Amino acid sequence: MKSITIPSLVIEKLQLKQKDKVLLSLDEEIIGGQVLTIMGPSGSGKSTLLNWLVGMLPSSFDATGKLYLNGADVSQISSHQRHIGLLYQDPLLFPHLTVEGNIAFAMPKGNKQDRLDEISDALKQVGLSGMEKRCPQSLSGGQQARVALLRVLLSKPKAILLDEPFSKLDSQLRQETRQLVFDEIQRHSLPAVMVTHDESDAIAAQGKVITLDKLI
Amino acid sequence: MIVANTFFTRTVRTSPMVMIALLVVPVLGGLLGVLLPAFGWFPALGATEFGLFGFTELFATPGIERMLLLSYGTSLISTLLAFLITVLILASYFNSPWLKRIQRLLGPILVIPHAAAAIAIGFLIAPSGFLSRLFSPWLTGWDTPPDWLFPHDPYGLSIILGLALKELPFLLLIALGVLAQPEIGKVLKQQHKVASSLGYCPMTGFFKVILPSLYGYMRLPILAVLAYSSASVEIPLILGPNTPPTLAVAIMQWFSDVDLSLRIKASSGAIVQILVTLSLLLTWWGIELLVKKCSASWLTNGAREHGGMIIKRFTDVITFIMVSTIALALLGMVFWSFAGFWSYPNLLPDQFMTMHWQSALTQMQTPLFNTLVIAFSSTLLAIILTLLALESEQQSNKTISAVSGLIIYLPLLIPSIAFLFGLVWMFEQVNSQHTYLNVVFAHLLFVLPYVFLSLANSYRRLDPRFSSVAASLGASPSKIFWQLKLPLLISPILIASALGLAISFSQYLPTLLAGAGRINTITTEAVTLANGASRRTSAVYALMQMLLPALFFILAWLTPKIFSRARV
Repeated sequence: MKSITIPSLVIEKLQLKQKDKVLLSLDEEIIGGQVLTIMGPSGSGKSTLLNWLVGMLPSSFDATGKLYLNGADVSQISSHQRHIGLLYQDPLLFPHLTVEGNIAFAMPKGNKQDRLDEISDALKQVGLSGMEKRCPQSLSGGQQARVALLRVLLSKPKAILLDEPFSKLDSQLRQETRQLVFDEIQRHSLPAVMVTHDESDAIAAQGKVITLDKLI
Repeated sequence: MIVANTFFTRTVRTSPMVMIALLVVPVLGGLLGVLLPAFGWFPALGATEFGLFGFTELFATPGIERMLLLSYGTSLISTLLAFLITVLILASYFNSPWLKRIQRLLGPILVIPHAAAAIAIGFLIAPSGFLSRLFSPWLTGWDTPPDWLFPHDPYGLSIILGLALKELPFLLLIALGVLAQPEIGKVLKQQHKVASSLGYCPMTGFFKVILPSLYGYMRLPILAVLAYSSASVEIPLILGPNTPPTLAVAIMQWFSDVDLSLRIKASSGAIVQILVTLSLLLTWWGIELLVKKCSASWLTNGAREHGGMIIKRFTDVITFIMVSTIALALLGMVFWSFAGFWSYPNLLPDQFMTMHWQSALTQMQTPLFNTLVIAFSSTLLAIILTLLALESEQQSNKTISAVSGLIIYLPLLIPSIAFLFGLVWMFEQVNSQHTYLNVVFAHLLFVLPYVFLSLANSYRRLDPRFSSVAASLGASPSKIFWQLKLPLLISPILIASALGLAISFSQYLPTLLAGAGRINTITTEAVTLANGASRRTSAVYALMQMLLPALFFILAWLTPKIFSRARV
């Protein structure tokens, strides 16, 4: 059964403050498949924004405003119950688990064989078939990035956040991986927020771009 | 790297060899000195034929099975308990400000010597101790002390309590130290975030993501704790049953018996003690394999909630009980040291007096002097050797080999009761007169590993570009060492010195044996007094044992601050 409402992530009248000083204000709606790009130099509050979106805002900051995910207010819900996936610049695969284990870790509970089949299919689609039992450290940077992407996607998130996701890849790999990530976001119709300071990422995302100023 | 050939660089280059020799010769020599009599070779008694009669005699000792079981059981259970509670605390307070607070509360427990901790816990759980007073008569109805066997219960429950409370802060601080290392801790925290964004509740995320990685870094310290607790004497001596005691305590009694023929049995016992320790390490390894096998499919089954709140509440209760046990034990000891008449079941002494402190302090002068002289000598030696060895690492541009690295920790891994007696025999062959020197050398074996452990990281992490800049300005290696590295590293050096002093202060067995019973320190006196004499005097000595290391840690912490302020 398909949900009738269009997937969306709404940031309503957000103000992030540190000791009464406003870091940033934002009022945006992102619908499924779109990518909102946030650009700005370091220190402009990009990572603070991401922390707020996933519900891990450090206590030294204050926030007003609301976050709606598919129409539901999630502003006060703890991070592990928000279903917002995160993709960092480091793949951060768990070293004690295999490639398969890393993905299985992220998937919802279910029949063991079904889950394994789903993992194999997903790996095949991104050109990693047969890598199930490999340990993540033995993969190349690009392969690790793809496993990290699969891990997020197969956890069935309702939205996805990209924290400078391609900055550690070289330019060739960067284009390929970027295309893969954006294609998957479209295919799953996920609202996405990307933080980057690379112009080409912003262009490739083809969505709205917000540039933050450096605060003194 | 080209290094100038001067007196300084030559000294530095030979220093690792000297350090290794100072550790290997006594330990291996000591083991040999136990191995020979264990198999029947003991010329002083006219026994010059090899045989197994020492072992036959050992296994004919009444209650030997109980001794073995007590040694094995108490150390395994206490280490398991300490480890489990450490994990629960980490899991429950990961990412919470409480972790820092618990760390600050438990940190000082580390420097409390085992003997003092045992005395404090003994006072707490004794029939007329603080615990039974706290609940009497309003809850228990007792108006005379209850008839229980604590702290000398035959099942070793008091030993387990003592060991676990002493091991727990150590394991917790080790784990927090790992998490504080930027390259490990940061990645683990980010992985925890990833797990959280994948829908894992913080507790489950900790068990499925952090613990499997973190455990790898904790394994060696855990094994060291296990090995140590299986063969330690202070806690079982003060908190354990007497008939029969743990194997280590029994060995010590046989060795110090006037009947020299018991030496053969004691030596065989020391060999069996090593086997007990080894089998404990194997047991732990087995448990590890089992847990790994059983949890493999659980890790990736996708289940995200596992009653996190129940575990959290449970941990809150455990942590509260633990911290209040420690607080009550310390408080009780302070009360005893000032108590005049203290009738049961009154919670507070009927009268307070300073008499015990006054009389103890006058009797304490010689032991205090001995304690300080021995501690300062062994710590100074350890600091010099460590600094030279670390400097030689940098001059030769490679870290100490794995073998040498292991040798440094040899005295901590091999049960000291097994090689110390052989060491004493070796001292007797070389020089029997200089008991002071013998004690200093025996202490060095235990002080050196800790000082090295504590200094190595800061020394290795010092930015090498400082030295390069200085060298390019024409500074010699010795000038770089004295005028650049030492001033830069003054804080870690002082902390390592305080740690060295604390380790030396706490040594019981090495002092007793190497000093042939003629050199009294605060610790040997405290242990002697704990088994008899007045509870009040004993409390004073145990408190002194805690105050001394605390004093030097505070000094080590304050000194650089005062100097840096003077400069500004």
